[in-house]
Amino acid sequence: MFNRFQFLFQTNISRESQMRAAINQKLIEMGERERLKELLRAKLIECGWRDQLKALCKEVIKEKGIENVTVEDLVAGVTPKGRALVPDSVKKELLQRIRAFLAQHST
Amino acid sequence: SQPRTASHPDSDAGSVMSPAGCSHVNGFKVDNWKQNLRVIYQCFVWSGSVETRKRKAKSCVCHLCGAHLNRLHSCLHCVFFGCFSKKHIHDHAKNKRHNLAIDLLYGGIYCFVCQDYIYDKDMEQIAKEEQRKAWKLQEFCKTSGIGEKYSMWEPTKRELELLRHNPKRRKITANCTIGLRGLINLGNTCFMNCIVQALTHTPLLRDFFLSDRHKCEMQSSSCLVCEMSQLFQEFYSGHRSPHIPFRLLHLVWTHARHLAGYEQQDAHEFLIAALDVLHRHCKGDDNGKKANNPNHCSCIIDQIFTGGLQSDVTCQVCHGVSTTIDPFWDISLDLPGSSTPFWPLSPGSDGSVVNGDGHPSGATTLTDCLRRFTRPEHLGSSAKIKCSGCHSYQESTKQLTMKRLPIVACFHLKRFEHSAKLRRKITTYVSFPLELDMTPFMASSKESRMNGQYQQPVDSLNNENKYSLFAVVNHQGTLESGHYTTFIRQHKDQWFKCDDAIITKASIKDVLDSEGSTHKRTQ
Repeated sequence: MFNRFQFLFQTNISRESQMRAAINQKLIEMGERERLKELLRAKLIECGWRDQLKALCKEVIKEKGIENVTVEDLVAGVTPKGRALVPDSVKKELLQRIRAFLAQHST
Repeated sequence: SQPRTASHPDSDAGSVMSPAGCSHVNGFKVDNWKQNLRVIYQCFVWSGSVETRKRKAKSCVCHLCGAHLNRLHSCLHCVFFGCFSKKHIHDHAKNKRHNLAIDLLYGGIYCFVCQDYIYDKDMEQIAKEEQRKAWKLQEFCKTSGIGEKYSMWEPTKRELELLRHNPKRRKITANCTIGLRGLINLGNTCFMNCIVQALTHTPLLRDFFLSDRHKCEMQSSSCLVCEMSQLFQEFYSGHRSPHIPFRLLHLVWTHARHLAGYEQQDAHEFLIAALDVLHRHCKGDDNGKKANNPNHCSCIIDQIFTGGLQSDVTCQVCHGVSTTIDPFWDISLDLPGSSTPFWPLSPGSDGSVVNGDGHPSGATTLTDCLRRFTRPEHLGSSAKIKCSGCHSYQESTKQLTMKRLPIVACFHLKRFEHSAKLRRKITTYVSFPLELDMTPFMASSKESRMNGQYQQPVDSLNNENKYSLFAVVNHQGTLESGHYTTFIRQHKDQWFKCDDAIITKASIKDVLDSEGSTHKRTQ
């Protein structure tokens, strides 16, 4: 049973996701993922993105009614716009940080 | 099923909601469930230690598709990780009839029967504790000095009671003018009014006073810090009529005698005197000893305004360097047109490139003044210093740089010249930017320059030495008769002009074109 699981596991992953998984592992192991999360959180608050998202969420809540709204309603209602609203400068900065980290810790 | 509501601390609804779980957790809350839940949080959600991180990195992937993204959840009843977005965890829940799962990103508990995240009081408590524990283990917690992870305010029972008894709410919108209030001129007191406007709009100071952080240890009623606290209450009360600061003025006369009287005084002098009195009144008796040693004081004034200025005196013969560091509350800059020579500037400093100077008319910039301030200065043959290396008096050069930057930096342009021959006001226009990077003027930058290290192109991602303008104090008129006004920034990008009792909206252009005798920036 366990071996079959492993076999399924290996054939379902493409090379790209393999690389993603490896990078993710390294980031978590070295605690960098947590640091990046904190950096991202600070940047998104600074640029006002968090306030914008809060406003979007409030709209969804008003629409659905506060008694009935679920987390899924919020996720569905807010995710596409939320992703689009992230400033390019924040994306760039995160990417640079990750690149620098990988360069430092390449095996 | 019972009605379910979640806590929304900043919802618009007038009534307060309490967190509630669901009855489906009862099946989970058996035996040693608390410890099991803690282990799940420590290993898979908030991994603080190296071992748990390693384990998290390896094992937190979906058992069906291997992905680590897609809002991964862990089943609470068995060892299974599944994607939420791809419904892999939902399939598992249905097949195994395991009703509860935990979100590995945020630690929320999901109930498949209720089809929503639930907020069980006991589980929430465990989650909070584990998050706090993991946070403390993180390295950056130790280096950044942030001991606690920020958590939103949640009202206590007593506070809920108070909120219910006081239903009036004030909403801070983007356009609201709360915090803006005029100040009546009590007879040439604009020198005080202009500084008060700047102080009441210093964000950290405002936060300190509005959260009631001052605990007064003075016996008499002449505590200036208490008066400042009152002043903040007046400014943020929402009243639009101008405030009459007679008590403040009286306290200033009591504690800073040299500023008493109805003549026009110097605003910069008032700023320094006010900071000094506030600093002394902050800690009651203890401050008697600490008054002369701000390096050891942790009062709010020192935390916000005190920086360290490094002075290096280099002997021209043996090249030995004698270094001292002095605390400062402001940076006083000489201007071109004064009787002290403004140039030559130190070669190789990159201030202008960094701060994007390039005022079209080639006007003097703030960074020009800062470059001059931090240039190496030959002290001349009439001012020889005793060199401990040479054991004799030698010629030397002296250079000032910033060792430690304050959170709020006050720049003072020395427009009033009092020399033996003349007393006059220098009206040379000095342009200043909205954003200022102090990196080129740091002691550390100077050291890397001297060690031959290539001056790194300024890391635009590093915000440590960057400042943002939030207040500008201007003096109109002559030395004998003049008037002070202040521009202050509100809501990140709105500017207002404070002219005693009159507050008017201003544009950024108005601010940057002004003379700017004193201006303040915050990091």
